[in-house]
Amino acid sequence: MERSFKRALGALDDVFVFLEEALAAAGADAQSAYAVNFAVEEFFTNMVKYEPGGGHEVSISIEREADRLTVRMVDSGVQPFDVLSARTPNLLDPLDKRPVGGLGIHISRELLDSVAYKYENGRSTITFVQTLGA
Amino acid sequence: MFSITVGDDGAIHLAGRLDASRVEQAEAVFNRVTDTCRVDFSDLQYISSAGLGMLLKTQKRLSTSGKSLILVRMNKLVRDVFRIARFDLVFQIDEEENPPLKLG
Repeated sequence: MERSFKRALGALDDVFVFLEEALAAAGADAQSAYAVNFAVEEFFTNMVKYEPGGGHEVSISIEREADRLTVRMVDSGVQPFDVLSARTPNLLDPLDKRPVGGLGIHISRELLDSVAYKYENGRSTITFVQTLGA
Repeated sequence: MFSITVGDDGAIHLAGRLDASRVEQAEAVFNRVTDTCRVDFSDLQYISSAGLGMLLKTQKRLSTSGKSLILVRMNKLVRDVFRIARFDLVFQIDEEENPPLKLG
């Protein structure tokens, strides 16, 4: 299943409606569905944050093969920006030293089996894989 | 859907899905908290990094006056995310809580 969304925070509700539909169709378990929601929201809001301008859309596709879900997010008309290169904040810092940002990418990577970033012809593509549980 | 309510005892109750487009609504309530406060997660199905950041910010602010948020009744999926974030180190997270005894 594939759909395109306006690159804007206001499109997030539509993204979640699509995910609910696509994850149900793929027979995803609750834990996998949570991981996909979390990661898609994280990457989508990052795309909005770093390229807020202009009429482009973000397309999201979800495919199931055996027990693996592959999610692909394509952001067109953008400069290269590899969100996966972000440094993990030190999670062991005491409260007053812990940074508020930078957590989402780290948690997404922990939840998912694998994540990859590719840039080609003005398009950023994030592909991630989630193995379905029982 | 997302909702946030404050009970008579000052405890905050979260319900539904707390994502990036709802975090401002939640933050408006958390910004008014000035004392140690329980946050009931029992009806919260989903929280993303936007909500985690908001909670961490609130906890930092409260800690400067010796106060804190106490997080209770999380479902397993939400709790897993808090563990990965290592929020167990900076929040009191009550795993299980006995339902109130009904007397008489």
